Amino acid sequence: MRWLRILLLASVVNLGIQSGLFAKSTRETIEYALPRVVKLFGAGGLRGLAGYGTGFLVSKDGHIATAWSHILDADQVSVVLDDGRRFEAKLIGAEPQLDIAVLKIENLTTELDHFELSTAKTVAVGQRVLAFSNMFNVAAGDEPVSVLHGVVAAKTDLAARRGAFQIPYDGPVYIMDAITNNPGAAGGIVLTRTGELVGVIGKEVRNARSNTWVNYAIPLPVLTKTIDAIIAGTYVEDEKPDEDAPDRYRPLDFGLVMVPDVVFRTPAYIESVLPGTAAASQGLQPDDLVLFVDNELVQSARELKRKLGALESGDRFEMIVRRKNRLITIQLTAPKKSDQ
Amino acid sequence: MTHLHFSKTIASLFCVHVALIMLGTSVCHAEDLEEAEEKAFREAAALAEPSIVRIQTVGGLDRVGQILAAEGPTTGVVVSSDGFVITSSFNFVNQPTSIVVRHPDGRPLPAKIVATDHSKMLTLLKVDADDLTPAVTAPAEEIRVGQWALAMGRTFDENLPSVSVGIVSALDRIWGKAIQTDAKTSPVNYGGPLVDIQGRVMGVVVPLSPQGTDEAAGVEWYDGGIGFAIPLADINRVLDRMKKGEDLHRGLLGVSFPGASGLLGVDPTIDRVRVNSPADKAGIESGDVLVKIGDTDVASQSEIKHAMGKYYAGDRLSITVKRGEENISADIELVAELAPYESGFLGILPERQSSENAEGVGVRYVFLDSPAAKLGLKNRDRIVAFDKTETPNAEVLLDLVSRMQPGDTASVTWSSEGKPNTKEVELAAIPDQLPDELRSVAIVPAGDAVERPEVGHFSGTIPDGEMTYWAYVPDGYNPAASYGLMVWIHPNDDTMEAAILNKWRVICEQRGLILLAPRAENITRWTLPETAVVKQLVEKFLADYSIDQDRVFVHTMAEGGPFGLQLVLKNRDLFAGFSGVGTPLRGKLPENDPDFRQQFQFIVGPDDPLKPRINASVEALRKLKFPATLQEIDGLKSGIYPEKADVESLAIWADLLDRI
Repeated sequence: MRWLRILLLASVVNLGIQSGLFAKSTRETIEYALPRVVKLFGAGGLRGLAGYGTGFLVSKDGHIATAWSHILDADQVSVVLDDGRRFEAKLIGAEPQLDIAVLKIENLTTELDHFELSTAKTVAVGQRVLAFSNMFNVAAGDEPVSVLHGVVAAKTDLAARRGAFQIPYDGPVYIMDAITNNPGAAGGIVLTRTGELVGVIGKEVRNARSNTWVNYAIPLPVLTKTIDAIIAGTYVEDEKPDEDAPDRYRPLDFGLVMVPDVVFRTPAYIESVLPGTAAASQGLQPDDLVLFVDNELVQSARELKRKLGALESGDRFEMIVRRKNRLITIQLTAPKKSDQ
Repeated sequence: MTHLHFSKTIASLFCVHVALIMLGTSVCHAEDLEEAEEKAFREAAALAEPSIVRIQTVGGLDRVGQILAAEGPTTGVVVSSDGFVITSSFNFVNQPTSIVVRHPDGRPLPAKIVATDHSKMLTLLKVDADDLTPAVTAPAEEIRVGQWALAMGRTFDENLPSVSVGIVSALDRIWGKAIQTDAKTSPVNYGGPLVDIQGRVMGVVVPLSPQGTDEAAGVEWYDGGIGFAIPLADINRVLDRMKKGEDLHRGLLGVSFPGASGLLGVDPTIDRVRVNSPADKAGIESGDVLVKIGDTDVASQSEIKHAMGKYYAGDRLSITVKRGEENISADIELVAELAPYESGFLGILPERQSSENAEGVGVRYVFLDSPAAKLGLKNRDRIVAFDKTETPNAEVLLDLVSRMQPGDTASVTWSSEGKPNTKEVELAAIPDQLPDELRSVAIVPAGDAVERPEVGHFSGTIPDGEMTYWAYVPDGYNPAASYGLMVWIHPNDDTMEAAILNKWRVICEQRGLILLAPRAENITRWTLPETAVVKQLVEKFLADYSIDQDRVFVHTMAEGGPFGLQLVLKNRDLFAGFSGVGTPLRGKLPENDPDFRQQFQFIVGPDDPLKPRINASVEALRKLKFPATLQEIDGLKSGIYPEKADVESLAIWADLLDRI
């Protein structure tokens, strides 16, 4: 039956060449993807940090996209293909805000199979996907990386943290229902079962809201422009936006005296309302619990302070408070400030 | 497209035409199936979506036990159009101040908790709405192991529920209560539905564990390929009760079985029947073999637990036991709580060193106004028979008395100055008050010829462990006598070695007490895993010294309290008591169990801010019928250890641990 297998492989390659599409089934997608995903070996090994990771080929000249991580801190990073060929690669550019980096294999003499970034696609919740990664470093030599299958569980903004630190990327991500984000998996790729590019596997992080590990991938359409620009040598890192805007308003500016903020999560109860203020004229009362500001849940007194602090002069906003068992919606406007 | 591609291939490879047609067709079918399944997932999710609501909470605890309470949104399932939503109790473990349910159209609706099913860890919420879309229930008999199962939540995105796809892994799990799935379940979708491929709700996702029973049990397994959902069909059956505000509890029978309880217990022979329990009222006796619960035949302890899993307190059912050759059936009504077990009390302290040739239990001390005092028992009398047992030793007598209740009667035979007496005694409850004075018993020091383990004040390291300790063994230690063991658990940041030694040294000599003080690996605080190491250390001392099992206790103060309490409650066979200075109880209390008698002592100053909580602790323990003593020491400041003069009264409590 050996000849049959060879014929089948031949037919798959044939398909790719003829149509520009590569695969139509899970099995074909896996066969297509495995040679294009590489194992990376670089810095690390200290304090439990893995010295290995995953990347994927994005050009015939040996450009490799991967997650921005400590393994790239080495002068050179070793790249091992699925057939065991080993190359040295150099970091040519990175965008930490997007958690993406691009390497290039040096002294490459042949052309390599690679993914076409232009086939990156947006997918829906419930869609089946395949994730390819060098997780747990189980494939060190002439063997391909591991394949996981699952569905896209959710699309969401990443509200996660890495250890105690926020990771810089906070844009949209796909959440997978498979345990894709393992040690070494960052920089791996997620494809649909029919072979379209979906996203890049991110690092191991916890969801700050549910305290669970998140299995996520950054959508490739968010990254392709940056990757292309790094390859073309035209990429310029954006300047960091000013993150520490001053608190302009306090609850008092609206006539609200809040209950003392004693514990980490003191609910935003109104202690009293100053007469003659906007809050009073809108009918706010002592013991009202502020639940939403502009439809966003206010978890604590601290958060209310933060939300009000970020308002601009003249901003109109909606506040929903709970009084007994009723929700009451009121409109407020941030007062003009003379000193601004 | 697929067919086109393959026909091109086939044309180019005409020599193996036939083989490839075969191959091509099978591949095509696989593709169709994959595509059809993917479409079905999305359709099922879309069908279930209108019944899935987002729940947001405000306020509440930051930390629940070992878990950092998350503040993210959670999920619920609509069960009736007029505003009832069922969800996982886990979502409210942090006791939020306020709960808001989002109508699927985006409107925030204030919600209140209507009822909780403590057996299945579900909470019913009510919102003021009449246009909700209730979930369609998947009939229980149609759910099969191996079928597709989608665990859904509404926590990531308000508009689009999240979907995790798996299969039904097992039915009737967790003592018959839950569907098991390999779809990923976690705090991200607890309270959300487990949906079948037709979009019907099979169950509500909850964290569960076969062992644990609290709201957060099983959370550590999140996303581990083992998840549980309570069948919606089962929930519907009790929904009317819950809508009326009735909390549901696990139904208890009031029997226990020998050996380790849990999964491995095989023998369904009833060991003990709790007084006033449903089983007791139905005439079930110790030694009966439980053979049938409701309509289910049972042959092992785990089958019994399984069969009981679906019943609630208040349910009526018939049970059958085998007594000898006879089958006896009884109708019973299950209860939520069994009356706490209360041990009886005779009112004596037994002699510790049994005089040679003497039989029975020598009386060291008779408590004022106790049943023993009313009988006329005096110091140095000997109890030679109790009930049907001849010449009991102190251990046997304690066991006999502990297993009886206050008010029970038994005949006692004792000899007083050579004269035998027999009388009926009515047992009392163990008093919470201590006598003001209690003479210590002189221990004859060991002679020089006796070989003794290390005595005096010394330090050591536990073998195979990192833990160090210090200890004080009375200089006159005599292996022929029996000693009490006080395990000192120091508060945070200070071992208090000098102070404790100074205040207890003389007492240790006088009252025959060994002092053992482990040091926390990190002196700033004790960690839970260290309970195992301390246990090991205590066992070493029990092996090396002559220690009376009934007088091993933990003594601690301030922040040492929670750890000391864990130690005592986790090792009920090892510790007979807990004595804490300025520290209240925390967490769930165990049931009083005559097999493991435990006594408590709380020491507090009049102005200690923790005093109300310490009072409440004593109350709670007494409600559970544990002997609990409250010692108020004049002028004792919060965070300060009592003066030497006051320590004497603490020692009296320790000296009374073996009272019968």
